[in-house]
Amino acid sequence: MNYGHPLTFGALVASPAGTPVEAVELARRAEELGYDLVTVEDRPDEPGLLDAWTVLGWVAGRTERVRLAPAALAVPLRDPAVLARAAASLDLLSDGRLELVLGRGGEQDAIEAMGGRRTGTDRAVAALDEAIDIVRGVLDAGEPRPLRHLGEHYRIPQAQRGPLPAHRIPIRLDGDQAPVLRLAGRKADGWSATLTAFRPAEYAAANKIIDEAALEAGREPAEIRRLLHVTAEHTVPELLALALEDGVSTFVVRADDIATLDRFAREVMPALREAVARELPAAPTAVFRPASVRAKRRPGIDYDNVPPSLAGQAVEPGDLDYARVRSTYLRGGAPGLVLRARSTAEVVDALAFVRAHPGLPFSVRSAGHGISGRSTNDGGLVLSVAAMNTIEVLDEQRRLIRVGPGARWSEVADVLRPYGWALSSGDYGGVGVGGLATAGGVGWLARKHGLTIDHLRAVEMVLADGSVVRAAEDENPELFWAVRGAGANFGVVTSFDFEVDEVGEVGWAQFVVGADDPADLLVRWGAAIEAAPRDLSGQLIMGRPRPGQPGVAQLMAMVDNDDPQTIIDQLTPVAGAGPLYQQNVVLAPYAAVLARAADGYHRAEGEPVSRSGLIEHLTPEFAAAAAELIASGAIHWFQIRTVGGAVADVPAGATAYGYRSANFSVVVMGPSRRRLDPLWDALAVHFDGLYLSFESDQRPERLADAFPPRTLERLRELKRRYDPQHLFADNFPIRTTLETR
Amino acid sequence: MTDYGHDLLFGTFITPTAQPVHQAAELAVVSDRAGLDLATFQDHPYLPRFHDTWTLLSYAAARTERIHLSGNVLNLPLRPPAVLARAAASLDLLSGGRIELGIGAGGFWDAIEAMGSRRLSPGESVAALAEGIEIIRQIWAADQAGPVKVEGDYYRVSGAKRGPAPAHDIKIWVGAYKPRMLRLIGRAADGVLPSLGYLANGADDLTAINQHIDEGAQAAGRDPRAVRRLLNISGEFAPAGRAFLQGPAEQWAEDLAGLTLEYGVSAFILAADDPATIERFAAEVAPATRELVAAERG
Repeated sequence: MNYGHPLTFGALVASPAGTPVEAVELARRAEELGYDLVTVEDRPDEPGLLDAWTVLGWVAGRTERVRLAPAALAVPLRDPAVLARAAASLDLLSDGRLELVLGRGGEQDAIEAMGGRRTGTDRAVAALDEAIDIVRGVLDAGEPRPLRHLGEHYRIPQAQRGPLPAHRIPIRLDGDQAPVLRLAGRKADGWSATLTAFRPAEYAAANKIIDEAALEAGREPAEIRRLLHVTAEHTVPELLALALEDGVSTFVVRADDIATLDRFAREVMPALREAVARELPAAPTAVFRPASVRAKRRPGIDYDNVPPSLAGQAVEPGDLDYARVRSTYLRGGAPGLVLRARSTAEVVDALAFVRAHPGLPFSVRSAGHGISGRSTNDGGLVLSVAAMNTIEVLDEQRRLIRVGPGARWSEVADVLRPYGWALSSGDYGGVGVGGLATAGGVGWLARKHGLTIDHLRAVEMVLADGSVVRAAEDENPELFWAVRGAGANFGVVTSFDFEVDEVGEVGWAQFVVGADDPADLLVRWGAAIEAAPRDLSGQLIMGRPRPGQPGVAQLMAMVDNDDPQTIIDQLTPVAGAGPLYQQNVVLAPYAAVLARAADGYHRAEGEPVSRSGLIEHLTPEFAAAAAELIASGAIHWFQIRTVGGAVADVPAGATAYGYRSANFSVVVMGPSRRRLDPLWDALAVHFDGLYLSFESDQRPERLADAFPPRTLERLRELKRRYDPQHLFADNFPIRTTLETR
Repeated sequence: MTDYGHDLLFGTFITPTAQPVHQAAELAVVSDRAGLDLATFQDHPYLPRFHDTWTLLSYAAARTERIHLSGNVLNLPLRPPAVLARAAASLDLLSGGRIELGIGAGGFWDAIEAMGSRRLSPGESVAALAEGIEIIRQIWAADQAGPVKVEGDYYRVSGAKRGPAPAHDIKIWVGAYKPRMLRLIGRAADGVLPSLGYLANGADDLTAINQHIDEGAQAAGRDPRAVRRLLNISGEFAPAGRAFLQGPAEQWAEDLAGLTLEYGVSAFILAADDPATIERFAAEVAPATRELVAAERG
């Protein structure tokens, strides 16, 4: 019986306390020799050996590639919940190289002597069974509820889960007695044993026990990988038989010295690899997912036919990485499948798969920051281009750069900084390039340098039919027009060419001003902004005052000028919009101002409720209405960004982003759509247009707010030409026909 | 005025954040290269936003060359002492004698209990720590005859083999504030490791802390100088002096030298998660403080 797993080799390295450098030297040598795995014996009762977990942490710091495992960890002497966090840490620190092997930990006397509990053999296996649940439960960081385990051996009232490891850490069980074998079959990802512990034919019998227990538990025997400790004296024919007939896929050689490691690597590994390759037809390389993972699949998705180029990185609901990719910055998601493309060709493959799933929700994601929440969904497909994140300078003379859609704006700013360049993007460094650069891009330099899309010179994109095209003023100009403001309707951009600006150090100001009369503040701030030189762009954030607290607003502004006096002169009228409570003004590089992206992954829950409007002037009428809205308690976020200036220099029809005369972009967020929508709709009279990336309202009439009538008409024609089947239908979908309502 | 005459140590108190994954280890490397004496990490095994501190210490020790490392402080209730002692000795052997054992009796009992460990009263936790220290020292005492035998109320380690012996005399530093725990330190530990920010009356509280330790030491027939007084500190570099440890490096040095000369503090562990602050602490504050103290001690 062979279970179809690829053949791998490991080295059980000696870790004598007397010569502590030996373990790491052996581990490093094993890595050099091409071993896949290094294991370290755990014998907490044996002072002649170093503590295995400590050795593994040390070896992780001194190796690069080889996987690491204890052999086997003595569970009775290790708190399983603490062990699980330690495992997550070691997996993270080693970039996903940890495998766990758990065992009962040797003689009961020795365990008791070390302060562990004597349990008896059968109960030791029951404890191991519980320990597996606890370890898996702690590592399941995507599960929102705390871990509660009230077992016979372990009682954990409510432990927090996590950290999320770098990869799904396989849990193997070590042992050769029937209760352990049955547990391995029922629960483990692998089984570990030592060949010398078996008489002939016993090994096959043990395998059978595992297989039967697996089948009884509704699992495939292939879910349990077989690891066998052997000695360097075992011959290739012996090992070959074990691989072919007994399904052993990992041979771990006991290596007390480098000579043994060398000899096994030289004499056994290549010959065995060759023999196995000869005897076994090429094992399918399909990603194997256990039944527990497949059970979480969503209907209507052809999981088993994900294009091979994408299968390795695809994430489905049962996968460990799902917690990292399901949600976005503000929207909780539950997609059925996330395809992670690394190249244009993979985007083409992904879109073919999407075309084969008509009717399923389909979202495209760069970094997942989008306030409108369009980059995840429930039960559908997500195409993530986060891995396509290169940033290169194409032409230093013309300040031309090429950026992948998955890059984040802080990364772009960091690359441009040494050249003395910047590209106005948004106000947060964690935002991805793709979403923003197909919608607009209202950033800290907007009034001086325009929108991000105004710097776009060309794109490469994959269209709905899978064709790869370049769009620029001189090539597919219609598409180039559409992609600048309505890109999400027409394809997936795989690279952006931007012409960026020379930007030296900038003035960066943060003020807190009194807002006891919010309407008055809005009018005065609006007037100060409109009167300010284009060097200055900024924003205002306000909320309902806390009971008993004065009303305040935060004002932020960037002045694209490196002369301190000029900066102060330009800021003074803006700061004077209200009584000044706090101020902080610094001279800094643009890249330093653009807030760093928080590391880690998005964990939003629920739906964002965000509304957007573009407005030319902050009139007293609008200001009064806005003040009322803020006071209503229906919103918890009120923010105005400055546009105008260079943004308005571009003619309205020149790009699909059409409402260029606005001087301000207003965004509000609230807890309840039902409460916010009527209040916001009532303000419509003040607005001319909206900004796609801040609008979470899905009602179709928003499309008419997003694009001027002639622009929308032109977009409909182009949609008919480039996406007649409405493949891109989840982000302000443009219908090819006018709805009659 | 109490100065126990120890040489001065300077170190960092680094947040063991799990995100970004390698940040904490990288800051240990920064501390090492900057020439500091110690890199330390807090230990809260119930918090998933942090790395497991023992794993992080093992990894960081492998990435550094000269600096000593310690938990600040390790949570004894969730790290049984016999296994911890072997782990500490192992890492000390691997690192060539660069590990110290900062340890605490546990503080956040709700969280400890939620992880499945038994809640102890303050008095019980002092007794448990005393047993823990006894077990750890017996394990390390590899050259003594007979197996480890500690049959305590909280830990029973009976018949375990001794060893391995660490590469150097690992110091046991205890995070403590209250009289009973401080007297235990005087009796059985090698150092006290409080955080200045937790002292209700600031540095003035160090006088009482010292007294309790000294009494404990004397009652056990130990020289109070056997117990090093360490201190976790935080501060901010600023062009002009504003307050204690808020000002230029020269002012920091004066502030810290004052703590040494007045309260006998001989290890300053700075809470810092940015390389620039760590480098400045090492390059400007540490030598200036040492100079001021040396001048005063004569």
